[in-house]
Amino acid sequence: MASKKSLVVEYLKYEQMLKEISKGKRIDGRKLLETRPLSIEPGVIEKANGSAKVTLGNTEVIAGIKIQTGVPFDDTPNKGLLIVTSEILPIAASWAEPGPPNAEVIELARVVDRGVRESKIIELTDFCIVEGKKVLAIFVDISVLNVDGNLFDAASYAAVAALLTAKMPKYKITKEGEIEDTGKQIPLVTKLIPVSTTMALINDTIVVDPTLDEETVMEARFTITTTTKNSICAGQKGFPGGFSLKQIELAVDTALKNGESIRKKIKKSVELAQKK
Amino acid sequence: MSKLLNSKNRRLDGRKLDELRPIKMEVGVIDNANGSAYIEFGRNKVMAAVYGPKDVHPKHMMKTESAILKCRYHMTPFSTGTRKNPAPSRRETEISKIISEALEPAIVMTDYPRTAIHVYVEILQSDGGSRCAGVTAASLALADAGINMRDLTSGCAAGKIDGKVALDLDEVEDMEGDADLPMAILPNLEKVTLLQLDGDFSHKEFIEALKLAKKGCLKVYEMQRNALNDKYFGNGKA
Amino acid sequence: MPEVKRKYVTPGELVGKGKYNRTSNVYQIEDKFYSTRVGMAEVINDSLRVIPLTGPYIPREDDLVVGKIIDHSAFAWEVDINSCFSGFLLAQSVFGRDYSPARDSLTKKFAIGDLVTAKILAFDRTRDPLLSVSGPGLGRINQGEIVSISPTKVPRVIGKKGAMIKTIENYSKCRLTVGQNGLVIISGNPEGIILAKSALDLINHEAHTADLTQKVQDLLSRLNNGEK
Repeated sequence: MASKKSLVVEYLKYEQMLKEISKGKRIDGRKLLETRPLSIEPGVIEKANGSAKVTLGNTEVIAGIKIQTGVPFDDTPNKGLLIVTSEILPIAASWAEPGPPNAEVIELARVVDRGVRESKIIELTDFCIVEGKKVLAIFVDISVLNVDGNLFDAASYAAVAALLTAKMPKYKITKEGEIEDTGKQIPLVTKLIPVSTTMALINDTIVVDPTLDEETVMEARFTITTTTKNSICAGQKGFPGGFSLKQIELAVDTALKNGESIRKKIKKSVELAQKK
Repeated sequence: MSKLLNSKNRRLDGRKLDELRPIKMEVGVIDNANGSAYIEFGRNKVMAAVYGPKDVHPKHMMKTESAILKCRYHMTPFSTGTRKNPAPSRRETEISKIISEALEPAIVMTDYPRTAIHVYVEILQSDGGSRCAGVTAASLALADAGINMRDLTSGCAAGKIDGKVALDLDEVEDMEGDADLPMAILPNLEKVTLLQLDGDFSHKEFIEALKLAKKGCLKVYEMQRNALNDKYFGNGKA
Repeated sequence: MPEVKRKYVTPGELVGKGKYNRTSNVYQIEDKFYSTRVGMAEVINDSLRVIPLTGPYIPREDDLVVGKIIDHSAFAWEVDINSCFSGFLLAQSVFGRDYSPARDSLTKKFAIGDLVTAKILAFDRTRDPLLSVSGPGLGRINQGEIVSISPTKVPRVIGKKGAMIKTIENYSKCRLTVGQNGLVIISGNPEGIILAKSALDLINHEAHTADLTQKVQDLLSRLNNGEK
């Protein structure tokens, strides 16, 4: 069984990476700030309330949404629940093993959760059925099917596309005060499209959408989620390295621009899916 | 819509927007540890201890060319408003990783091959910004342990309350405010090694908060130096 | 008179710039040197270093150390030498080349809990320190008290050409064995041991101060004259 040791990047490849970066390119031919081919396919799991499959280069993930009734938290009696989880399936890589999530997977789950939650893509008060007693709980579960770097962005796009195309049951309160499922399905009301952009710092240069090899040699990583061309709602620096303040400012600039372009792509694939 | 600022832009505890809470630091508080420190950031009470470099268990985790850093951020059950279950939560696991990644760039890991350096951050009382206080205490504990470092790590958070960018949010401001930006830097090397943000920032506000947090980190750094001074250089002059 | 520059530093602080032949506890970016420790930075002629005030013991070949036997296998004793790694003492080096585990029992020579003075025979980045007890003054310690000080203070306990250790031995009428790993054995009469311990405690806390030698002398003569 291969261990994570096999992830060591051959020195020759690393040298090649640095050489290309100094010329403004990467070893797969991309420019420094260019993302890999992205495909977003909503509605792949019909039994789920919402779903989307995303491939970003060779990284492949599926997000599935299940909406169930639940009890609200004590301190937010009129808000629904949003729970976002992520999991790297053992099929996704030779070194991935079944079992409880490790720190990396927990970080992935929490960063994607915050990117979705803080964007206010949905208004949780819209999901209250009876204040203090019954609300809707929206579970967004992301499963990684194949790992080739930048799980943060792929998972985020899948979760967002799934939310944008999800349907939830419509409830009504009967004359006797009972909660009844009308059997109708209505789309979720979504306010905006948050877009996550992950960047790696390699040899003091920022590159967008790192592959697994690039993540293995990078000094540090920064993921930023933007909601419009001028606003940010979440961010996380990762990996044992450091950014200068100027690099952070460049990263934010890049994320805002990239966010706009990916936002258009997500919108397009959602519109396509809704036509069907 | 809660009011965290009064008409004169003063906060609930009387502070100005760019003011830090009162901070206390003491180095060398746990006798058994190789290095330790205690910090108070406002009502945050944080203890950090370092054990190591020592040998690695289980042995297969050992690296032949460098030390491994094992960091644990943990909140005591009595540290928060509602009792916190002592079992490690996902939040603590994530913060442990974040703090480890903020400290590691400062440590000369290759000076201690085949060893483990254990850093324990215990939050005894939490009041917003505990991870910044934690990383600051951990850095002092590492210096106290005499582990080779390129720089200290100094932490401080900025944020946005009632639409205005502010420094060092406490718990109420964190929960009721608009956005939060915890940060830690290597002050001499000028590198940001911890940075998270959530909430709503415009591009301009983000840059403003970033710069304000850096200023806060540099003030924290001066206090760290004074704390080390007090323990090590207090009894004599060069 | 060579120019000496001294100042207290913490990790990351600039110590000096230029070309130096001997540097320690600093790291270099271009022509600038920064401290990696809490300590006293000292720049004299072509030497630029930081004398650390705290830090672990990292074994060096030929160091004299005091260790505690904590375990053994059929072939070696494991010795706690107050460092990141345990030291190992091979049975072969003690019993000889024709050592046989069936015939020679390790516990006959050194039992778990015994204290030994040993020399570091070999140590590098790829393996645990190897110890030797062959040599004058090495082997099991049969009497005395053990005191622990920070390994960074050991040079001050020994002093220039052993001056400090001689002073303590003279006043206390005890023998001191100082391990580079910060463990010191004091053997002699009980009153003398108390004297020696006080001196070691003073050095451990004030090693970095000026007039240390005078302070230790004053303390020892005060205690000797029955004052507290």
